[in-house]
Amino acid sequence: MIITKRALPRRTVLRGLGTAMALPLLDSMVPAFTALAQTEARPKPRLGVVYVPHGAVMNNWTPATQGAGFEFTPILQPLSAYRDHLTVLSGLDHAPGAQMPGDPAGGHGRITGAFLTGVHAKPTEGADFEAGRSMDQIAAATLGQHTQLGSLEVGIGLPDFAGACDAGFSCAYISTLSWSTPTTPLPMESSPRAVFERLFGDGTSTDPAARQERMTKDRSILDAVTEKLSRLQDGLGASDRAKLTDYLTAVRDIERRIARAEAEVDRELPLVDRPAAGTPTSFEEHVKVLFDLQVLAYQTDLTRVISFLMTPELTAQTYPQIGVPDPHHALSHHENNPESLAKLTKLGGYHTGLFAYYLDKLRATPDGDGSLLDQVMVLYGSGMSNSNLHNIQDLPILLAGGGAGQLRAGHHVRYAEGTPLTNLYLSLLDKLDVPVERFGDSTGRLQQLSDL
Amino acid sequence: MRHPLKPAETVGRRLSVMRCFAFGLFLSAVPTVATAQQPPTDAATYRVVLDRYCVVCHNERLQRGTLSLDGLRADQVGEHADVWEKVLQKLQTQSMPPPGRPRPEAAEYGRFSSWLATELDLAAAATPNPGRPTIHRLNRLEYTNAIRDLLGLEIDGGALLPGDDLAYGFDNNADMLTVAPGLLERYMSAARKIARLAVEDPSVEPDISRYAMSTLDVQDDRMSEDLPFGSRGGTAIRHHFPLDAEYVVSLSLAGNTREPQEIDVRLDGARLALLPVGRWPAESGREVASREADGTLSVRFPATAGTHVIGVSFVKRTSVVEGVAPARLPVWTFGTGRGFVERMALDSVDIGGPYSPDTIGGEARGAQDIDPRPHVFSCRPTSPADEGPCADEILGTLARRAYRRPVSDDDVRLLREFFAVGRRAGSFEAGIQRALEMMLVDPEFLFRLERDPAGTAPATAYRLSDVELASRLSFFLWSSIPDNELLAVAEAGRLGQPDVLEAQVRRMLADERSTVLMSSFGGQWLHLRRMRTVTPEVNAFPGFDDNLRDALVRETQLFLEDQFRDDRSVVDLLTADYTFVNERLARHYGIEGVYGSRFRRVTWTDEKRRGLLGHGSILTVTSLATRTSPVVRGKWVLENILGTPPPPPPPDVPELPDRVESGVVQSMRTRMEAHRANPVCASCHSRMDPLGFALEHFDAVGKWRDTEAQTPIDASGVLPDGTTFDGLPALRGVLFERRDEFVATVTDKLLTYALGRGIEYFDRPAIRAIVREAERDDYRWSSLILALVRSQPFQMRRSDS
Repeated sequence: MIITKRALPRRTVLRGLGTAMALPLLDSMVPAFTALAQTEARPKPRLGVVYVPHGAVMNNWTPATQGAGFEFTPILQPLSAYRDHLTVLSGLDHAPGAQMPGDPAGGHGRITGAFLTGVHAKPTEGADFEAGRSMDQIAAATLGQHTQLGSLEVGIGLPDFAGACDAGFSCAYISTLSWSTPTTPLPMESSPRAVFERLFGDGTSTDPAARQERMTKDRSILDAVTEKLSRLQDGLGASDRAKLTDYLTAVRDIERRIARAEAEVDRELPLVDRPAAGTPTSFEEHVKVLFDLQVLAYQTDLTRVISFLMTPELTAQTYPQIGVPDPHHALSHHENNPESLAKLTKLGGYHTGLFAYYLDKLRATPDGDGSLLDQVMVLYGSGMSNSNLHNIQDLPILLAGGGAGQLRAGHHVRYAEGTPLTNLYLSLLDKLDVPVERFGDSTGRLQQLSDL
Repeated sequence: MRHPLKPAETVGRRLSVMRCFAFGLFLSAVPTVATAQQPPTDAATYRVVLDRYCVVCHNERLQRGTLSLDGLRADQVGEHADVWEKVLQKLQTQSMPPPGRPRPEAAEYGRFSSWLATELDLAAAATPNPGRPTIHRLNRLEYTNAIRDLLGLEIDGGALLPGDDLAYGFDNNADMLTVAPGLLERYMSAARKIARLAVEDPSVEPDISRYAMSTLDVQDDRMSEDLPFGSRGGTAIRHHFPLDAEYVVSLSLAGNTREPQEIDVRLDGARLALLPVGRWPAESGREVASREADGTLSVRFPATAGTHVIGVSFVKRTSVVEGVAPARLPVWTFGTGRGFVERMALDSVDIGGPYSPDTIGGEARGAQDIDPRPHVFSCRPTSPADEGPCADEILGTLARRAYRRPVSDDDVRLLREFFAVGRRAGSFEAGIQRALEMMLVDPEFLFRLERDPAGTAPATAYRLSDVELASRLSFFLWSSIPDNELLAVAEAGRLGQPDVLEAQVRRMLADERSTVLMSSFGGQWLHLRRMRTVTPEVNAFPGFDDNLRDALVRETQLFLEDQFRDDRSVVDLLTADYTFVNERLARHYGIEGVYGSRFRRVTWTDEKRRGLLGHGSILTVTSLATRTSPVVRGKWVLENILGTPPPPPPPDVPELPDRVESGVVQSMRTRMEAHRANPVCASCHSRMDPLGFALEHFDAVGKWRDTEAQTPIDASGVLPDGTTFDGLPALRGVLFERRDEFVATVTDKLLTYALGRGIEYFDRPAIRAIVREAERDDYRWSSLILALVRSQPFQMRRSDS
């Protein structure tokens, strides 16, 4: 079922040197996949989240009119080819990201930690960090039962911060969107090779017998580890035992995955070159290859839930390739300087342009009766609106994809002032058939997502 | 007649007596003086002082700073040591009562402070609380070093494992080192790859590793000591070659790729190829390679298994001596990200292989290879009957080092089962490989476990076993596993002997492996790691390229290492009259006569830049992208030099006043002074800002300046206590006067790092004891580290409650 690396003849490998990171990972495999896709007609909803930091220049993001036929704004313009697969959602607030009394002033430290958890991140730089279980992980707990991986977490430019990340807030709140429990942030992977190996393993053989052998081997190691863990638990204190329990949970997770993989051992898989070890030289190349891998993960149905941090809050990423050589965070404090606003608008459009690349790949990938784009629900947006003031009102949020027929796209909807973003999460979870009663500061379901 | 002698002397004696009772190894920290007991009236006396000067604000009703002091018993400070430690901290920094409020006269103030410290130390000695770090997963650095020391393999930890989050400023905090579900898969995968390399598995598949050059590197100078003289640009890469086999180095280029150039490719300094690229005149007679990254610009060569250095550089086609030619700046252009004026540069290097392992004989093995196999194969079976005992020996030896304790028969039996499976499917080596895969995901390898001895009462302090102490030592000083000698001493139960412990610590400090202490601890304490991500704004600082970035970091690293190796006083960090520069950095600092990429020691002839605070790295990481920030710099000094971080700013801080007021551009200083007019802001900013202003002669990338926007720099400041100073030399004087606070801060940070947990109020007495002990040897690094290693929190642990 898992095909990792073609057994290339040596000459081919040599010729391929330097292009092993070739972007259209998928192109070579789509034909091989068509047959498979057509045999599975049942729609499978998938959830994706794509986060961009530092908000947006809102008057260049928000369409002027509501409903269908809205005019694309400068930042949304790159997505104009996907009108039928887009819903722009205005007026949503995210109060959990706001500064609370007693909070440190830093505006960024708590934003990402709150974004998918709906919980105000506990202000601490220490190890007692706490947010909440994130919306994607709630979905993953159910959707993940059908797939080898419950979820996939991907992110670029994760901080190598020294000292604190933002005054008074743990780095954990900046470096990930996904929390499997209020105290378990899930690390986001940035290396394409590492993402690839998480999906397909690090084996080099496509031979089912070899894969079977490796799974048996992994099993025996996991068995031995389990036994050892139970012996080590004796005589340990409660906090220490909790840590070993985490390890045991990880063991179980892999065992479950192996069991699933063994059941699917005959499944057809694409032939793909694994990406070279190392980090791509350019940001754009890096984003694209990570989008490729996300498409691949959905396509192979190895997971149905993916979160992606395109860059983190406070990032100093520069974009000289589009004429924005300024570090993003510094620029985001624009003080209404027209030149800075123009650059931020350009940058916002650059990010949506990269997102368009992703949508393009999704649309080009057959799945069920249509394309992957028809199946997915991808939330794209940021946890603040005006970055100069760290506003958490009227956020830049949009949904892409058809949600397996559950999203009525092509509209710009403006919700009543103060509508919680978490209401959207309730609705999304409904559509994924993982209903929850309340989430964070939610006050109810969002209307007008499908019942326009 | 209240103070027959100085309190510090009293505590010295009383503490030393208690420590001798409690655990023989603790040395007295202060010379003892024969004395009578303190009069019992002290507590009552200071209770009155407290009531008169402090309780006015800090009472149950007002609770200023959420602190209430009216219910505290001064005769039982141990009952509320957490609160008293806060009081003591304010007294020692003389930051309370606030300016404008009445204070005790200086002598009484000092006596109160000393008395309180003494009482707290006594209370702590009576009921020691060494804290309880939780189980500690090896972080990425420790894992990488452990593999190096266990198997003799240099691995790229960054490619195998994710990074670790920080807490309390360091990435080795036990509570942060959790196991997220995906991490175990990474460990299993890493174990497979490492085991494959360790036994040189001949079935290893070809792979490609990409090494990308930074787009901000100006490739005009010789880039590395590992590259030939007369070269420019390129890079030197340490790469692990898994087998004796053929490999391919493949290059891609950037910049002006039409320029005729020759690229020199080397393996361990020996030239593999000289590749002509670009457009050469026909008469040159050279065959011109294509620059396209399709694999044609590549070299195939044989290499032995092990770590080698691949050097790639351009031949410098000029008669000018290295370093004299003017620097070119990276110029950003639309679309490409690279300046059109820039010369041809290396963009990335791919190393692929192994190919054709069968064709390479073993005779190619060079002496300089780091050959991993002797680390693993301590014996070789000569007959089938040998295999069992030999496998036991190999696995037992490795397991002892990997688990950092004596191995049991059970340990070996388990590994033998894995060996047997691998052996059945393949060779003897394949069996060892399989057992290694298990060993490297064993929780006893991945975690540092400390176990409460059986029968220990809950929440009681107990002494760690010698074997546990050995691991604490090696992970503190080496960020790695204990070596054979340390482990042997611990297993023999001798590490608890004070002279043995000291000898081991001195041996470990002298070992090259301790360099990591300065790079890891030093780099995190001083925020040097942030240098990797700072991005000074291009228009404001067009001269900032990656060569300068690297040089700034290297300067501070070399300086720290030199201070540490020379066993200087920690205080020297603030005042040293020398530093290390190469040509790029010398240009930045305005030093003449330094040429080339090699770093050398230079002595400052003036006062301007001496000590750590004159280092461009620190001045850069404490600046914003476009300008300096006296607030950030001041805060950095308070946090990392004086150990008194200001509290976070309150919510709803008003914005700074507009930059342009009544048509006049206001200086940052003027705008900040307006900000400080607000008393709420002033309470912290009056401590922070002056410290930062003293550094205003250094711009946001640490370059000297006399003016800013045509206005002369004003580097003067006044601290809340009235101390005035102007510029770094005067600030250095102020900090030198407060060197005990500096040493306590270094100790606080070093203890955080050594224990892998945050510092709590109950650690304060230990920190004071470490500082007292180190003072006797002029705060030398070795004295500080030895005192720390002998301290309660390092030697002991509290059992689970």
